Amino acid sequence: MSRLPAAGSTAPAFSLGDRAGGQVDLTEVAAPGTLLFFFKHDCDTCDLTAPLVVRLQDALATSGLLFVGVSQDDPSHTTVFVDRHQLSFPIALDSELHVSDDYGFDAVPALVLLGPDRQVLASYEGFARTDLAGLIEFAAKQCGAETPPIVTESDGLPKMRPGCGSKAHAPDVAQRLAVRRGAAVLSARRVRVPVDDDPFEFLAAQGLGDGLPVVPPTEERVLRMLEGTSRSPSDVVAHIPPNLTPATVEKVAINAVMSGCLPEYLPVVIAAAEAACTDEFNLHGVLATTYFATPVIVVNGPIRDEIDVNCGRNMFGQGFRANATIGRALQLLVRNVGGGRPGDVDMSTLGQPGKFTCCVGEREDLSPWEPLHVERGFSPETSTVTVFAGEAPRAIRDQLSRSARSLGASMGWCLETMAHPKLHRMGEVLLVVSPEHARTFKADGYSKADLRARIQEVTARPLRDLLPNDECQKGTVPAGLPPDWKGPDGQPTEEALARPVPKFKENSDILIMVGGGTAGKFSAFLGGWASGTMGSMAVTREICR
Amino acid sequence: MSGSLVILDPTAEQEPIGRRPATRPDQLTGPLGLIDIAKPRGDVFLNEVERLLRADLPDLEIIRLRKPTYTKPSPSDLRAKVASRCRAVIQALAD
Repeated sequence: MSRLPAAGSTAPAFSLGDRAGGQVDLTEVAAPGTLLFFFKHDCDTCDLTAPLVVRLQDALATSGLLFVGVSQDDPSHTTVFVDRHQLSFPIALDSELHVSDDYGFDAVPALVLLGPDRQVLASYEGFARTDLAGLIEFAAKQCGAETPPIVTESDGLPKMRPGCGSKAHAPDVAQRLAVRRGAAVLSARRVRVPVDDDPFEFLAAQGLGDGLPVVPPTEERVLRMLEGTSRSPSDVVAHIPPNLTPATVEKVAINAVMSGCLPEYLPVVIAAAEAACTDEFNLHGVLATTYFATPVIVVNGPIRDEIDVNCGRNMFGQGFRANATIGRALQLLVRNVGGGRPGDVDMSTLGQPGKFTCCVGEREDLSPWEPLHVERGFSPETSTVTVFAGEAPRAIRDQLSRSARSLGASMGWCLETMAHPKLHRMGEVLLVVSPEHARTFKADGYSKADLRARIQEVTARPLRDLLPNDECQKGTVPAGLPPDWKGPDGQPTEEALARPVPKFKENSDILIMVGGGTAGKFSAFLGGWASGTMGSMAVTREICR
Repeated sequence: MSGSLVILDPTAEQEPIGRRPATRPDQLTGPLGLIDIAKPRGDVFLNEVERLLRADLPDLEIIRLRKPTYTKPSPSDLRAKVASRCRAVIQALAD
């Protein structure tokens, strides 16, 4: 979009060389003013305009109005144009296109009439008779002269003609100029990769990666990444554990570049960081635990399709850029900004592949139920991320059940193995119901509430069977039981020992989403970590662009 | 490879403040804090530690402290209590 300075604004100052080795300076503009004429030699509309500028110069010759041409070409091509139109005013060479970029027009010719103090009196780009007539009228008025008859009924000029694209918009040039323009907004320390060092090896040697190569975060790439959000680069997104250091939008963008994100993924990464860095999610604990937990990111809403977050076949697998890089960006942010590194604060005994990346979409179109984010209080049209502290996906295999009741039982029994079969009253689990299984539930009119109830029903065991014993010393420990289940000695009462205890403390601890390919009667679950407010709870945040 | 590549620092650009661990006491003179981080059976371990300490050092003042949860860093009031009241601490990880 054009950023050509409008009337009333102050135009940028500049000082450019000319073809003779001199300088054309536009720091101060004396009365009555200066007319700037930006052109390039191979532009028909510039050829149409140049003679008109010359006629205006002739008409106002005695007024003191200065004319300055600004060429986007090299000296030889500039000379071609100057000779073609017999231009006699100073010509500044803007071959680096910095001034063109500062003036921000999309097309040449661009004309800018300046009064004293570089105040813009009139400006336009391309060609339109009305714009030209207006500018001539302003110029004459500024000079105290009569409007010269350049635009008349018989002038033969077209009503309008589009200009030619400014050279500043050529893709390679635009990127270079964007860096020049945007460099000021980037406050991160610049690191020069030593001569002859391979940037990929350099980054790995600095400990800035996750074991896989990372994309070098150059200024160009980071600026392009920042185009993915409307937020200011200096906005603080979150304080990243374990060091609780502030991560600005710029730092998120740098790490998103390194992970391989496209700019349109950036808002998702930002929202995921915001969600993960809440007290409820407790990223510090998720990171520091010896357990398997890692942030699992679920994307819901329209953005899922817009940026192609895989929610179908192989959704937890390889091959999908959004899935692969969004989760990775969050992990890199924790590592690089938060200081959370494996073997240091990250003390996971075994880890899991999801600690590289774990991001999936929900297959809302094949779900018989309202999607995860709607269930969690957002409208269907809102794009969200939900972060969940989860293990790796584990299989629920049931090709035989044809009723929801039977399938629900299968799911319950599989879920009972989460962490340990005897460990009940666990925290959250993320249940991913495949489309084929979802169809079975739909056929029987099974709601999410029905499925949760069925899971709790089939997993309910007498507390007596769940306590640690000689057969298996692991189990549900009395310390975590409600006080009224225990006697004065702190041990469960006889009544409590007979009480059926389902796997999950609350039905709502079972988070349900639909995802995966349309072939395969397999679902999955991702076990959670420590439960409730004393551990980690799933958090959903709106994705704001 | 070009030697002129400039990249942006992805880290927090903060230098950690170097802190030396507190000087280890030559002998236990108390008050001694026994901190249970709230993992299962942390109390079992600390009860045994306390029993042994009391047997050997009957005059030692022992303060039992407990984190609300092992999943989060110690809250500031607990840290303040340790700093102001304890000469030494033993923390139980348990499980």
